[in-house]
Amino acid sequence: MTITIALPSKGRMKDDASAIFERAGMRIVAVGNDRSYRGRVEGWDDVEVAFLSASEISREVGSGAVDFGVTGEDLVREGIADADARVEFAARLGFGHADVVVAVPEVWYDVDTMADLGDVAADFRASHGRRLAIATKYWRLTQQFFSGSHGIQLYRIVESLGATEGAPASGSADIIVDITSTGSTLKANHLKILSDGVILRSEACLVRARMAAHEGNPTIDRIISSVRAAL
Amino acid sequence: MPLINLPAFAGDLLADFERLKTLRVDTPVIQPAEPFLDMAGEDLRRRIFMTESETGESLCLRPEFTIPVCLRHIETATGTPQRYAYLGEVFRQRREGSSEFYQAGIEDLGDADTAGADARAIGDAMQVLANRLPGQRLKVTLGDQSVFEAVIAACGLPGGWQKRLIHAFGDQKQLQRLLGELADPKASGVFGPEVERLAKMGVLDDEERLVAHLAETMEATGYSTNVSRSPRDIARRLKEKMELATTRLDKAALAVMREFLAFDLPLSEAPAALHAFAKKSKLKIDGALSFFDARVAALAEAGADPDLIRYRAAFGRPLDYYTGLVFEIGIEGAPAVLAGGGRFDRLLTLLGAREHIPAVGFSLWLDRIERAIAAAGGAK
Repeated sequence: MTITIALPSKGRMKDDASAIFERAGMRIVAVGNDRSYRGRVEGWDDVEVAFLSASEISREVGSGAVDFGVTGEDLVREGIADADARVEFAARLGFGHADVVVAVPEVWYDVDTMADLGDVAADFRASHGRRLAIATKYWRLTQQFFSGSHGIQLYRIVESLGATEGAPASGSADIIVDITSTGSTLKANHLKILSDGVILRSEACLVRARMAAHEGNPTIDRIISSVRAAL
Repeated sequence: MPLINLPAFAGDLLADFERLKTLRVDTPVIQPAEPFLDMAGEDLRRRIFMTESETGESLCLRPEFTIPVCLRHIETATGTPQRYAYLGEVFRQRREGSSEFYQAGIEDLGDADTAGADARAIGDAMQVLANRLPGQRLKVTLGDQSVFEAVIAACGLPGGWQKRLIHAFGDQKQLQRLLGELADPKASGVFGPEVERLAKMGVLDDEERLVAHLAETMEATGYSTNVSRSPRDIARRLKEKMELATTRLDKAALAVMREFLAFDLPLSEAPAALHAFAKKSKLKIDGALSFFDARVAALAEAGADPDLIRYRAAFGRPLDYYTGLVFEIGIEGAPAVLAGGGRFDRLLTLLGAREHIPAVGFSLWLDRIERAIAAAGGAK
């Protein structure tokens, strides 16, 4: 059986991932020219590499179309329902660090915790004629965190695919759930992270699709142990 | 298309509804999604089937009947009390069972005699279930959020805590967590550095100064003061939060609340037990109790067998439009809930009705009733 590993097709993620695989004794070379979206691993004839966008990688691993993928934990947990049952986080790779957080306007002096936010959300309809609006691209993570972990039901999600931090100031949403690595964009937009508002501390991971065909396959185990040894 | 999956008893059920003098209504299967998400919250999104119109409007397959029936009432008949009946397919993703199934029910909108309407809703639901399941002993669980609200108000909790507890009513885990927090003197609110700075400046003691400061800050940071929470909203909630953080419930008050929440007894014994509890704990909850008594009396008048009904004080639904009565009906000894209902006096205003319209209703899970009938037949 040929094992397929999906890697980010461009940017820092691609370079960092290639560097780790190289240290793991798995030098990745493009098939054909440098721009090719297919690759192979030198000396590993039963392994092939597909270069995909980060969000596609989480989808492909989730559906089992590829065996391994390197992508952010946030994208995996957002993109796949019941992620832990369908994929294994085989290694945390130590780059691409970013937190998915709940952030509210700094000027909300009365809101520093999720419990505060729950109070505000409960009252919002009565005083504003609409539910509290959250701008985010993380539908699933937001729902799990608000409803599942904090018992907050009464809010609406406003989909935001970019420049989410600007939504509260522009009035298109009241608060945001977004990814941040240094917090500087939040600060520049006068937003603060709630003290218990970190939903997920994400980083790039080697993710394996849970498949029956992987049972007892020595190449699968070798890939995981080689990558782990390179960290 | 003939509906060949319609339960065999659907015709008899509709005949019952007609005898109960209800107006049969149907609503389109494809509904705007907004009202459902707005009322029940985003969590519903995962469970309903959504699609979009060509112009981008969010649509969904009807997940239930109450909201469409209420919207129809607002559009067509506001002001006139009306009892509606429905029977049709609803669409929801469930852990078990098919995601398209039949529901039927009655919504009683606009009747100002709330005790009488409550009793009639329970009585009607018991009646139509008894007709489908002759010889089976029904089990009715009844709860009442307004009694809970009266108890916590009488315990003297500040407004913010009352709101928190009411909001959690029906969610056992959350309610117990909040009571634990109220009792634990270590837990206190988290305040940011800015609040401490303002406290030192004395701004927090003066609402007008605080509002002015907030408005200035919002102006300076590019936040519009009229689209989201206003400076006044924030100032008021900050005051409420400081109260929340400093409120401790003494052991006696906490014991009173826990004693109340533990009530689980036959409805016929509940009025006496609640009066005795109020007297012993020195709680002034006469208004809520006299309404409770009126409903028990109305139930007896409606001919509902009181031996089948239990009152459980902690039973509620954590949705903000439920305001008083909630009930569930099953068969003694079986876990399945065959009917669920309650009073939702706040829903029609939330949906856009101009005046207050009291509302109570129930819905029946026809697939579960079908299984219960089959199980009863098999047991014979």
